[in-house]
Amino acid sequence: MIRSQPADVHLPLTPAVFAVLLALAGGEKHGYAIMKEAALPAGGSISLGPGTLYGTLDRLIRDALVEETGLTDDARRRYYRITEFGQRALTAETSRLAALLRTARARAVHGVTRPDGAGV
Amino acid sequence: MRRPNPFLFALYRFMLRLYPSRLRLRYQEEMLQSVRDACAERREPAPRFWLRLFADLLTSSIKEHLLMIRDQAVARPVFFHAIILGLILTMMGGAAAVAFQQLLRRGADEPQIQMADDYAAGLASGQRPSDVIPLPMAIIPTPPIVVRREDGSQAQLWTCCSIRMTGGVDIDRSLQPFALVYDDSGNLIFSNGHLDQAIPIPPHGVFNYLRSHSVDKFTWQPRHGVRIATVARRVDGPHPGFVLVGRSLTLVEEQEGLLYHATFIGWFVVVGLLFAGAALLSRVQSSTLNSQGS
Repeated sequence: MIRSQPADVHLPLTPAVFAVLLALAGGEKHGYAIMKEAALPAGGSISLGPGTLYGTLDRLIRDALVEETGLTDDARRRYYRITEFGQRALTAETSRLAALLRTARARAVHGVTRPDGAGV
Repeated sequence: MRRPNPFLFALYRFMLRLYPSRLRLRYQEEMLQSVRDACAERREPAPRFWLRLFADLLTSSIKEHLLMIRDQAVARPVFFHAIILGLILTMMGGAAAVAFQQLLRRGADEPQIQMADDYAAGLASGQRPSDVIPLPMAIIPTPPIVVRREDGSQAQLWTCCSIRMTGGVDIDRSLQPFALVYDDSGNLIFSNGHLDQAIPIPPHGVFNYLRSHSVDKFTWQPRHGVRIATVARRVDGPHPGFVLVGRSLTLVEEQEGLLYHATFIGWFVVVGLLFAGAALLSRVQSSTLNSQGS
């Protein structure tokens, strides 16, 4: 049911959700590995505490963007992976951000032009 | 490899109770393992690490509770709206009861304010307290006189009544106002009220307050079960001092009790009807959805 929804129904993603999905897009991981990857510059430099991480994971599982792999080292370490629906949501958000970035770069380089033609 | 500080780790484990129970039961062990892992690899100073961890716990637990409330509101909108309406009604009922109570209490000061003004003005003009402040009076009807008419019949003739001064207001039993007059040093110089055959002592600090504020209104409890609406005023003139005029709050407190009783019953009935209606509506909605589904 949820998987038939358009992927952009969850857009825009919060920074925490984006960081978790981005971390899981690189392969299945347990909670602490997701926290570590999110903290890296390539992961968004997002500081996720355990409370924020597991609350976010819980909602992502409920919305079918993420699922448990079923593999566990023990009860204290479960692994998670991104679903196909989650992958589509991540792609849609990345496209949205890319378009936003293009616009921002264009305006930052050329400046905003006033109606009389003078630069601001 | 660093191990977490046992005390802080135990505190963190205990504080996980702040999360909604479903989330805590599902993720508690994983969260604790993440803390152990993060502590083993931490590069920042311990105070900063734990501060960040506890800040995350507090903010995320509040967020999770708010999200849980939102989810429940979406799942059961009728009950959610009933709860909101019930809260609004409770606040409005509480505010109305407090407003009425304040009106009653302020109304209890009414005669004393004028009396204190009059007594203070009289004393300031140099009159003696006994000339300004009357002793309470009792009106005693005299028995009728039996007269014989010319035709031989009898008739009762009501004459006037006698008025006599009583020994002062019994503060514990009477609803009459009474007055106490003090000199500038706070020594009692006149009273027309008594409590348990003695003159009650005013609350500490009243005279000092009156030296700078000229008038004060307060509830005075000279002993358990006796509460007095009191107006105190500074007396100027040749013999400066203070005058206190009070009246028992017994009647006002009875009215307050009735007010609270009536407010509680009204609140209970309205909120009860509200939730009964919500339960009924919720049942009708779910049976409609079930019949549509089948």
